[in-house]
Amino acid sequence: MNAVLKFLVALVALTAALNVFAAADLEVNTPGVNAIKQSMQARHAQLAGHYNSGAVGLTADGLIALRDAGAVPLAQRQAVNALVAAENNDRNALYAEIANVNGHPEWQAEIRSTFAQRWIQRAQPGWWVQSGGAWRQK
Amino acid sequence: MLQAVTHFWKQLGRCVQTALYVLLSFSFTAGAAEFSLNIADIAAPDFSARGIALSLPENGSADLRIAELHVRQRGLRNVSLHCASFALSTVSMSCHGGSLAQLPGMTLEFDYRFATGSWQVSAALRNVPGKQLAIFLPAAMPQFNQGELSGMLRISGEASGVAAMAADMQLADMGFSDASGLHAAEKLRGTVKFAAARKAARWNWQGNIAWQSGELFWQPLYLRGEHRISASGSLDGASLKVERAIIDLPEAGRVQFAALWDMKRGVLAECKARGDNLALGKLFADYARPYLDKGALAESSLYGHADMDWQYRDGATQALHLVLRGAGIADAERRFALLGVNSEIDWQADAPRTANIAFAGGALLGVPLGSGQWAVEMRGMEFGVAQGVLPVLDGELELRDFRLHREGAAWHWQFAASLSQVSMEQFSQAAGWSKMLGTLAGSIPRVSYDGDAINVDGALLFNMFDGSVAATQLKLADPFGRAPRLSGNLSMRELDLDLLTRTFSFGNMQGRIDVDVNNLELQNWQPARFDARLSSSAGNYPRKISQKAVQNISALGGAGAVAAIQRSYLRFFENFGYERIGWSCALRNGVCAMGGVDNGNGGAYAIVRGGGIPAITVMGYNRSVSWDELITRLKRVTQGNMQAVVK
Repeated sequence: MNAVLKFLVALVALTAALNVFAAADLEVNTPGVNAIKQSMQARHAQLAGHYNSGAVGLTADGLIALRDAGAVPLAQRQAVNALVAAENNDRNALYAEIANVNGHPEWQAEIRSTFAQRWIQRAQPGWWVQSGGAWRQK
Repeated sequence: MLQAVTHFWKQLGRCVQTALYVLLSFSFTAGAAEFSLNIADIAAPDFSARGIALSLPENGSADLRIAELHVRQRGLRNVSLHCASFALSTVSMSCHGGSLAQLPGMTLEFDYRFATGSWQVSAALRNVPGKQLAIFLPAAMPQFNQGELSGMLRISGEASGVAAMAADMQLADMGFSDASGLHAAEKLRGTVKFAAARKAARWNWQGNIAWQSGELFWQPLYLRGEHRISASGSLDGASLKVERAIIDLPEAGRVQFAALWDMKRGVLAECKARGDNLALGKLFADYARPYLDKGALAESSLYGHADMDWQYRDGATQALHLVLRGAGIADAERRFALLGVNSEIDWQADAPRTANIAFAGGALLGVPLGSGQWAVEMRGMEFGVAQGVLPVLDGELELRDFRLHREGAAWHWQFAASLSQVSMEQFSQAAGWSKMLGTLAGSIPRVSYDGDAINVDGALLFNMFDGSVAATQLKLADPFGRAPRLSGNLSMRELDLDLLTRTFSFGNMQGRIDVDVNNLELQNWQPARFDARLSSSAGNYPRKISQKAVQNISALGGAGAVAAIQRSYLRFFENFGYERIGWSCALRNGVCAMGGVDNGNGGAYAIVRGGGIPAITVMGYNRSVSWDELITRLKRVTQGNMQAVVK
């Protein structure tokens, strides 16, 4: 009886926790979030070619990474490094900002993982994405 | 590696010496055409060889085969050394015209003296493909993948180890890369000369690299050819010393330096560097900017020339002597620029100094700054300007008690200032705003930056539109980031409506208004929230409002009045009298909740309450409107479009 009770309590707690996070509005629209999104949109044109070539891939933690520098001419490698760093700065800021706007800074990790899944789902065929620690091509 | 080589020679020498005696004892009796000898394994730390076979045909040549050779975890199979001419006597063993099967294009010579244990190896390389060198290099090093290598390599030593080495190599279109691609080069052409000799435990060395062409990426640096380096120094177990080095940097200038690298602690113990007439633009762009993180400085360019003399010791800069000639800095978006800087700066870590810095001009947020000369007091990493004048358009900003210092990794600064009589017309044009009239003047009590946010203490006071503006509790967080946040309160008193409406071509109004904007928060310079209230100032003054202004206000507040005026007798009047103007907006989540002179009845509220003859009252009916929509409407009416579209 006791065990059943414990199980029920755990189940209720778990669903409550899920419900709490489910309330996070990922489409918040504040000047801060907009500035980050605009900055990311402007950068996407520069990054798209590197996603296509496989030089840059999408990681499982909602960021991007330089996975094959050899696909980039020497003269542009630092520029691509800088693009990747800037994009990751923006992505980290976006997750933090959305969590803040929702009034729950502690939701950042869940927001990040939701976005990670979204980015990977929306990745175009041929792009490289990370799953289970290894790179695979979509 | 070198110890392993020495060990190999010793072992092989001993074996061959033994073999020699065997040979001498048996050659007459055996009368064989060829002598061959199999030697057991040789093993030493970092080095092992198995299956060694030496054969000496009668024609004076020799073949040495090693089935398996391991040098520092690098394994080689079936090493085969052929000596065209092999000489063996009781005193020495030597090989001329040697070749390795693994490295066609390389000719080897070696000589070994049994009595002293001294030896010498030299290798002549002629167009040896870089790829073939891979097997001789540690796996952790970037691997050659293209091009050819030619030149001479000499190593000599005695029983105690390597005593001297020299290399003179020519690179032809060489390329290399490590697995990550972050250390790579392509089409390298040039020469590398290096010589080192050992005296007891100390090596004296000198080297010379003339890099003609090709490109190199060594994260984060990307460099192209035309670099030259010549250097000399010494090396012992504890430190690497560069006695003198000269580096020619293309289009940037020549830098000389001397340095001492503490190998035990892995730190730069001492360095002196100097260069004359260095081109700051190229120097910064190629050698400094790649190391900077994103930020204002990383997006800036430098200009002009400088003489530099830098002394570094014990983990810190001890002295820096800089002579700037026509130097300047400007960020990519022209938010900030300081140009035509001339100065002689003699900075000392442990002694106060004053530098006179003269500048020809600059810009801040698009506003041009004039020339000036400041006396900067330097006390270690604390910098101060007691008083400095910065010309801004036709007025000037007088700076007082400017202090800049470093706390931890962050620079902190603060100052007080007063701004005198800048024409608003010039200022607004320079800032890319609508043309404003009047003058801008004010005082800035204390502005400080603590590494995170810029804070303004007290009230920032300005005179605009013949009234006063006070900004309090101003705070700009993340000022150099992507989305700066500004918060504070604004209080404007007795602004002249005539000047204001003419500036924004809103349709003429006469009178005075007070504006309060509380709880203001801008994110990335866009309003995110505020509580604004605009109302007629107290006192006696002419109160008139033009028909055009009435129509525009109506268009902003909601539909209705425009058509009503046009239908009524009021259309015969150009101007109307009013008693009070009032409008409020509380912005939350992109929606402005509006109100008028008073709270009004039901849905409607008065924005302009009539008074005098002819009087007019303008009512607003929309209680809430999207802020973006309101701004779009405001832009339409201020752009002189009389026919405001009201949804």
